[in-house]
Amino acid sequence: MTGPATWLSRVRHGAWAGAAAVTVVGLLAVAGGVLAPHDPTAPVGAPWTPPGPDAAWGTDALGRDVLSRVLAGGRHLAVTAAAAAVAASALGVAGGLVVGWHRGPVARLLTAGMDLLLAVPLLLIAMVLAVALPGPVAVVAATVCGGTPLTLRVVADTVTVVRHTGYVEAALGRGESDPVILAREVLPALTGLVRADLATRFVAALQLAAALSLLGLGPAPPAPDWAAMIRENLTGAALNPAALAAPAAALAVVSLLVTVAGQLAGRTRGRPA
Amino acid sequence: MTNRRFTSDPAVAGGLSVTGLHVVDAGGRTVIGPVDLHAAPGEVVALVGPSGTGKTVLLSAVLDALTPPLRRAAGQVRWQGTLIAPGTAARRWRRRCVGVVGQDPAQALHPLRRAATLIAESGADAVSSRAALAAVGLDPARYADRRAHQLSGGQAQRVAVARAVAAAPDLLVLDEPTSALDEAAMQLVAAAVRVRRGDPRCVTLLVSHDAAVVAALADRVVQIDAPVTPARTGSVPRPAPGATPLLSVRGLTVSQPPGGTALLRETDFQVAAGELVAVRGPSGCGKSSLLRAVAGLHPVDAGHARLGGTNLPWPVRQRARPLLRAVQLVGQHPADALNPAHRVGAALARPLRALAGADAPDTHIARLLTQVGLDPGIAARRTHELSGGQRQRVALARALAAGPRLLLADEVTAALDAATAAGVLDLLDRLRGDGLAVLTASHDPAVTARADRVLLLHDNHLASEDPAHAR
Repeated sequence: MTGPATWLSRVRHGAWAGAAAVTVVGLLAVAGGVLAPHDPTAPVGAPWTPPGPDAAWGTDALGRDVLSRVLAGGRHLAVTAAAAAVAASALGVAGGLVVGWHRGPVARLLTAGMDLLLAVPLLLIAMVLAVALPGPVAVVAATVCGGTPLTLRVVADTVTVVRHTGYVEAALGRGESDPVILAREVLPALTGLVRADLATRFVAALQLAAALSLLGLGPAPPAPDWAAMIRENLTGAALNPAALAAPAAALAVVSLLVTVAGQLAGRTRGRPA
Repeated sequence: MTNRRFTSDPAVAGGLSVTGLHVVDAGGRTVIGPVDLHAAPGEVVALVGPSGTGKTVLLSAVLDALTPPLRRAAGQVRWQGTLIAPGTAARRWRRRCVGVVGQDPAQALHPLRRAATLIAESGADAVSSRAALAAVGLDPARYADRRAHQLSGGQAQRVAVARAVAAAPDLLVLDEPTSALDEAAMQLVAAAVRVRRGDPRCVTLLVSHDAAVVAALADRVVQIDAPVTPARTGSVPRPAPGATPLLSVRGLTVSQPPGGTALLRETDFQVAAGELVAVRGPSGCGKSSLLRAVAGLHPVDAGHARLGGTNLPWPVRQRARPLLRAVQLVGQHPADALNPAHRVGAALARPLRALAGADAPDTHIARLLTQVGLDPGIAARRTHELSGGQRQRVALARALAAGPRLLLADEVTAALDAATAAGVLDLLDRLRGDGLAVLTASHDPAVTARADRVLLLHDNHLASEDPAHAR
C-alpha cells in the first residue's frame, strides 16, 4: 500500500527539487574555488580569527580564509567519490547483468570471487591500498572492492526476476541477442535501481575519501580539503568554531543530499526497483 | 468523459459511502468522476464496464491508494458513517478493515513465502489457513508448501483470494478475482465470497468482466460508462479452416518444474492454418506450459514439432528468423507484459523493425492499436499509465506486429470486458481469414464457443472435445 495521494504528488515535485539541489551543490563542490574571495592557500590574517569583515567565516590554523578553503576544498573529495561511485556501480551493474542472466558456472565463479572480496574488512583493504597507491586511486579501488559485490548481488537478483517477464520473453521471441536484450529491455527497466545504487556508492566513497584524508592520506598540504581542514582546525575549535564546523557541514550536506536524491530517483515512475 | 456518474442508491447510512470522488492525473485532467458509490452493510456491489474506464483506479481512489501521477482532487469516503480522511487515517483504516485482491495476484504473492504462510499473513492460524486453501479447491497437502512461482496463474489467484477471505475483512475489494480460473474454481471462489453476503459487518466491492461471476455474487451492479466506444467490427464470417496442418506436434513431453512432474506426456496435436484451437483444462494442468513450450520458452523433455513443413526446433534460441516471426506468444500476465521503461510505441516498433522489416513503423503502430480497439494516441504512454485490459491488448498488438502465422494466446481475453473481448475475437477471426492459426488456452466460454476445435488437457494428455459441449 502506498501513502496518500497528496504526499506522493509532493514526492514527484520533490524529485525535481532534489535534482536541482544536487546539481547546485555538486557544481559548488567541484567548481566552488572560482568563487573564493581569497587565495585558499595564502594567509589573510592572524590564526583562528573569528568571523569578521575580512574573512566571513574567520581564519584557520595558518591564518587562511575558511570560506575560500571550504569553497575550494570539495573538488578533490567530490571528484574522487564520483569516479569511485561510477566505477563501482558500472562494474557491479555489468557483472549483475551477466550473473543474473546466465546463472552458469562462470556466473557462480564471479559471485564466489565477489563474496571473497566482501569477506575482507573494507577499511583494511582501503588502508593497504592507500599506502601502496595515490590517494584518489586507492579510494576508487577500495570502493570497487567494497561496493561492486553489493551492487552485483542486488542487480543479479533483480535480473533473474526481470528475465521471466513478458517483455523479455517477447524479445526472445523476436530473436534478439543476449547483449541487445540486456541493453534494450533489462537495463532500462532497472533505471531506478541503478540510480539509487549509484547514490549509495557515492556516499560510501565520499566517507572513505574523507576518512583517508583525515588520516593524512589525502591531498598534500597546503591544498584545501574538507577532511584535512577538520583535522587541522580541531585544536582551534574554541577560538574559531566556524573553521571546524564549515567543512564538517559541507561534507554532511553533500552526503545527505545525494542520499535523499538517490532514494527519490529509485522511487519515481513505479519501476520495479 | 467528465462528470460520469455511476448510478447507485445514495440513501445508505452504514457500510461504505463515497461521494463526489474525483481523480485527476498530473495535468489536472479528469480520470474518473465525480463519482458517488454506496454499498450497504452485507452487500456485494459489482462494478462493471468496458476495459480502461477506470474501475481499478476507482477502487484505489476509494482506498486512498492511488499511485502517482493520479491523485484525488475531491470527494469523501465514509465507512460506517465515519469520514475517512486521506493520509494516516486512511492507512489505519485499510490495515484494520480492508482486504484486497488485486489484478495479477501472482505479483502480490511474496516469492519466498509458501502458500500457507501467505494466507497466515492475514492473521489466520495454521489450521485455518489450510482450511482456507481447501475452501478455494487447493489440496493443502499438495499446495500448502508451494511458493508463488510453483503455482499456476489460476492457483496463485486462488491463494490470493483465500488470503483476503481468511482474514474476514470488513471491506473486501476484489479486482478481477476469477480472470484466470476455470468454471469449477470460479464457483469455489464465488462460494468463499458468498458467505459474506447478508453479514451486516461485511461489505464487498467486486470488479469483474465475467458476467457469470457478477451474476453469481453481486447484490447490485454498478455500470461504469465507456469513455470511448470500443471499435466494433460487426459480425464477421467464420473462416473455413484449412486442411493442411500448419503446426504439427508429436510426442510432446513437458514437465513443471523442468525435469520434475510431467504435465504433458507424449502428446500429439495439430493446428491448421486459419484454425482457432482452444485448450481447456483445470487450473494448473499445464495449459500455459504447453503454449510456452510451443513458443520455445519452456524446456521440452521430448517430442518433435513441424511448422508448415519445416522442422521447428524447441528452444527459441535455435529458431531462425522466419520461424521466430511465424510463432508469437501473448502471455498470461498483463502486469509484466510490457517494459516499464518503454512507451507503447517503442514496444510495437521493435517487432515491426526486427521481424516484419517495416521501415516506417509509425503508420503500422496506429493501425495495430486501432485493430485491437485502442486509441492510437496511447502509443505515447508508458506501461504504468495503462489498465490491465489495455496492457493485454498492447501485448496482443505486439505479437501481431511480427506478422505471425501461428498466434499462441494465453488467456487473451481474461482482463477484458465482454464487448472488448468480442472485438478482439472478431479481429482474430478476420486475421484467421488470412490464414492465421490461433492456439489459445482459455476458460472463457466466449473463446471456446468460437473455436473450431476444443482440446481438453486431462491426465497429461490432450483429447478432442466437441465444441458443442465446450461449456
